Amino acid sequence: MAEQGRYLYAVCRGLTPEAVDGIAGLGGGRLSLVAEGDLVALVSPVDLDEYGEEGLRSNLERLDWLEEAARGHDAVVQAAAAIAPTAPTRLATIFLDDEGVRRRLREREDAITAALDRVEGHEEWSVKVLTRVPDAEPEPVPVASSGAEYLRRKRQEQEDRSAGDRDAHVAAEKVHEALVTVVAASRRLPPQDPRLAGHQGTMVHNVAYLVHRDRSDDFVTLVHEQSDAYPEVVVDARGPWPPYSFAMLDEA
Amino acid sequence: MSAPPVEDTRAIALVDLLDRLLGTGVVIAGDVVISLAGVDLVEVSLRALIRTVEEDSHE
Repeated sequence: MAEQGRYLYAVCRGLTPEAVDGIAGLGGGRLSLVAEGDLVALVSPVDLDEYGEEGLRSNLERLDWLEEAARGHDAVVQAAAAIAPTAPTRLATIFLDDEGVRRRLREREDAITAALDRVEGHEEWSVKVLTRVPDAEPEPVPVASSGAEYLRRKRQEQEDRSAGDRDAHVAAEKVHEALVTVVAASRRLPPQDPRLAGHQGTMVHNVAYLVHRDRSDDFVTLVHEQSDAYPEVVVDARGPWPPYSFAMLDEA
Repeated sequence: MSAPPVEDTRAIALVDLLDRLLGTGVVIAGDVVISLAGVDLVEVSLRALIRTVEEDSHE
């Protein structure tokens, strides 16, 4: 049998073993809790052939493996975050044994406690703002009569596009200004590559918002209002999710 | 486009999940095992994703 490591999903406060009953860890491993002071780490055994440095290097290049690991990690984090303050870890955070987990909890206790204090009672929402792509087919344009005409048209198209992007940036900032009035924190993420995200138009805004559970309804209402107020852009909000973007330690 | 602006769902799109799982989260390096930097992980995964997308679009 291959050597086993301990895969760490999240660090929580006040989590009891029943909370994760019936949820399998990655590769079917049994979830267990490792406690240190007030903190509880959620771990499961993984095979180091698969999750050791060498294995990860090749496995992370395989989309099917990556997706399964990310989904499995998320399932465990979601279950924990539904009932206890939860600071999720990065994908593939692996220790050699439980004592290593405990040692790290002791070393980082203050930072982890601060992260848990920050996210307790809160959920994460994602809001993206994209330029609106016209539904209608563009009017057929007669073939350019000359090279100069062709270049003129190209330039015009370019200018139209950047004007559209500029307007979208302005709208996105207005949406953001409205939303931050009901959120605890926000974090800007890089716009996503359309090849990965499959969206149309230009993504001008990709922001994670930390919203208290009691303000979720207000937040959703505001998103609807803002979406109506700026029909020139597409506002795409999703959630609620575990507070992935807000539970990191200060030193990354 | 008439899709509602808010999708109340806990199912996270893979690209959103990877944005988060590879970029942020409590940073606790494992004992010895993980020496890959976070940045490397992101680049690795994005390469894998982009390659898959490209393969799909060539079919």
